[in-house]
Amino acid sequence: MAANMTFKRIPILLSVLILMLPLTGCWDRREMNELAISLGMGIDRVGKKYVVTVQVVNPSQIAGQKGSGSNESPVRTYTAEGPTVYEAIRKMTIASPRKIYAAHLRVLIFGEGMARQGIGKSIDLLSRDYELRTDFFLLVARGTTAAHALNILTPLERIPANKLYRSIETSEKAWAPVTTVTLDEFVNDIVSKGKNPVISGIRLTGTEDGGSSTDNIKTTRPAIQLENNGLAVFRKDKLVGWLSEMESKGYNYIINNVTSTVGHVSCPNGGNLALEVVRADSKMKGTVKEGRPHLSVELRVEENVGEVECSIDLTKVRSIQELEKRAEERLTRIIRRSLDAGQKKYKSDFFGFGNAVHRSNPGYWKAVQKDWDERFEDAVIDVKVNVKIKRTGTVTNSFMEDKEE
Amino acid sequence: MENNPSLKSGLHENLLALKQRLGESDDLLVREFQSGAGGVRRDMVLLYIDGLAEEKMIQQFILEPLFQTETAAGGKEIVLEQLPGYLKNSVLTAGQVAEVGQQEPAADALINGFAILLVDGCASCLKICMANWEQRTVSEPSNQSVIRGPKEAFTENIRVNTALIRRIIKNPSVILKNQQIGKVTKTNVSIMYVQGIADETALKEVNRRLSEINTDAILESGYIEEFIQDETYTLYPTVQNTERPDVVAAAILEGRIAILIDGTPHVLLVPALFVQFLQSAEDYYQRADISSLLRILRYFGLFIAALVPALYIAVTTFHQEMLPTQLLISLAAQREGVPFPAFIEAMIMEATYEILREAGIRMPRTVGQAVSIVGTLVIGQAAVEAGIISASMIIVVSITAISSYVIPEFDMSIAVRITRFLFMGLAAAFGMFGIFIGLLALLLHLSSLRSFGVPYMAPEGPITFQDQKDVIVRVPHPGLRKRPSMFSKLNPVRQRKSKGKNGS
Repeated sequence: MAANMTFKRIPILLSVLILMLPLTGCWDRREMNELAISLGMGIDRVGKKYVVTVQVVNPSQIAGQKGSGSNESPVRTYTAEGPTVYEAIRKMTIASPRKIYAAHLRVLIFGEGMARQGIGKSIDLLSRDYELRTDFFLLVARGTTAAHALNILTPLERIPANKLYRSIETSEKAWAPVTTVTLDEFVNDIVSKGKNPVISGIRLTGTEDGGSSTDNIKTTRPAIQLENNGLAVFRKDKLVGWLSEMESKGYNYIINNVTSTVGHVSCPNGGNLALEVVRADSKMKGTVKEGRPHLSVELRVEENVGEVECSIDLTKVRSIQELEKRAEERLTRIIRRSLDAGQKKYKSDFFGFGNAVHRSNPGYWKAVQKDWDERFEDAVIDVKVNVKIKRTGTVTNSFMEDKEE
Repeated sequence: MENNPSLKSGLHENLLALKQRLGESDDLLVREFQSGAGGVRRDMVLLYIDGLAEEKMIQQFILEPLFQTETAAGGKEIVLEQLPGYLKNSVLTAGQVAEVGQQEPAADALINGFAILLVDGCASCLKICMANWEQRTVSEPSNQSVIRGPKEAFTENIRVNTALIRRIIKNPSVILKNQQIGKVTKTNVSIMYVQGIADETALKEVNRRLSEINTDAILESGYIEEFIQDETYTLYPTVQNTERPDVVAAAILEGRIAILIDGTPHVLLVPALFVQFLQSAEDYYQRADISSLLRILRYFGLFIAALVPALYIAVTTFHQEMLPTQLLISLAAQREGVPFPAFIEAMIMEATYEILREAGIRMPRTVGQAVSIVGTLVIGQAAVEAGIISASMIIVVSITAISSYVIPEFDMSIAVRITRFLFMGLAAAFGMFGIFIGLLALLLHLSSLRSFGVPYMAPEGPITFQDQKDVIVRVPHPGLRKRPSMFSKLNPVRQRKSKGKNGS
């Protein structure tokens, strides 16, 4: 009898179970107009607190119907402070009508002051939270705070965070001194003992204030602009200094991060000649000889003649060979300069030679990894550069040459 | 059967009985006359139904011979018992004449357009086919049109339809078996197949299922379809219907069985598989590469029609991180100020569209324009301008609406449309997760279906590599050497290997 009763209850139980299903539904449902889509985030430190600034897109200003004449700013920034980054972000809801949605984050900017104190702890949330992707770029605001940098409006790309993202992305492909660093790359560098991280810098140019008004983007030449500027060198997670343009260039050549760029050499008879790099390939090696790390960089570059501003006969094989020799010398100089910055100025192996040593000689690496940066200082580094000039463009000699004859 | 009285020998007795069987209907015409055919003048009565039998033919093939034959052949008198046979064999010039001994078949014959000839003193009568009623001529198919290919469609007359098929396959192996289904309507239902290709067990199964139908009326092929289909509780059709004779011809040549029903231009084809509902007759008339691409396009359309609104709801309400940033911003901008959640928005628009579509079919032609103006302007444009519906939702609904019509068979297209609503519900509650669970369930359901013993998802599930040449792509005809293996294994080879271009 009792068994019979249980059987009778099964359909009821089942329907209760099925009816419970919709109860869980929609638990993380969010309509798009309930999101504050933030594309840029900045972290500064004031005293013991983090100051977090978030740049939120105002969608109707970006993609609204054409000719909606209102002069609202395309983005809005919210700032909040708190003892942890997470608290600060949640606290923003007291000012923002929508919850901050950071999955589409494009750039994360650190103020220089904050970067010098160390940024490792502050990015834990960003790598831990499931909402965030790890493919946004990290930047350091050179000589200013992240909050200030995020308040500047930019023309053309109306979302400043997007402008930073795009310009650093394009620049990396066409101009050797620029490099991009995403969150996971940065975290990898911090974790690995054989490479210190590097982050691109941005700088404000022009007048000090007024960048946050839409007036800033109404002129052909905005009073205050954002631009990429140099690389910030870190030792562990603390900023120790900046690389100059030339040193940055050398850095990118060494880590094999040059897609295309333009450089110049001086001609035998005076004047300059611009060479376009169409292909660059470098190999970093680290071996141990007599207990000392012995490092080497091998660089192979293919170049085209891009611009001739001197008198040189490009139809002669000899002059091409001469140019190749000069380009090799110049590239070696650039690389040396960059290596010097690492070995002498900042005493930091931000190139990743340590990892190369680790790969070739794990036993030695185990012994030295703790004080690798000191060993790196007096390591011997060979630099070998091989340049091939392939093409000279649609003309051979400069037309100025013909005129003189 | 109920009592089935034989015809009596008295002429008026029989006449009265038949009149009564037809309830003294006013369209029953009675022509009483005397004829000397057979040597002696006898009283005869000719009965027929006005409008079903052709007046002119009765004059020419029945009355004229009867009136003009005054004596029997050879001057001998024909005995009464042999008279119907004699009339049938030597006097009446009509094509279809038969002797009937009972009342019920005689009455049946009358309402089928036969004329009944009663002879005084005979206990049997003659039924003479005079059927010729008004009918629609063979015209272009209205639902399954093609650009290249025959432009004939079936009509309501089953004889015309069978003739259309026979004109395509001129082979005595095409077998036609007739039966009447429906106790009251007595609808002619024929099955047609090619002997030697059609599978015997499938044939038996079709006959069994047809014979089990016990109903009053068969008015359309849909009645038969619902009686014989394998699974009633499914959205997906397991019986195909077509209005194209060429499709029927191709199907029976593949070993399938056609069921023709009098009174409808739709012919049923069994077994019917999922992939066949995505194939058009034209696939075989166009060049192979073109039709293969078009088929791929159709599969694409199938997925769009079933899933796009659901994916839109899932991505915009659960997985915004999947969208490219620019797209997210512009979608978010469109949603600014829209009062409904995406799901409600989608439901409103999809329901509106379905209402418009249904109205478009049912409304009188004359009001068509008014409805379409209201539909496009008010619902499309005004809803967006008023900020009730986002523009992107209109795009999603439009693309789905159009996509559902690339599916050539209407049954399938409607099934897909209903599935879409299920997916939308799942997407609104569970996001992508829901959609994938739904897809899995749908796949399981489709795989569990059978059509007359053939797995519905064949030849994909279970997979037969040999049959893949005519599923998603169609290989050129010289490559289609074998018939599809899932219908029949009786006579698999369609053609021998062709021997080079110049036929050497």
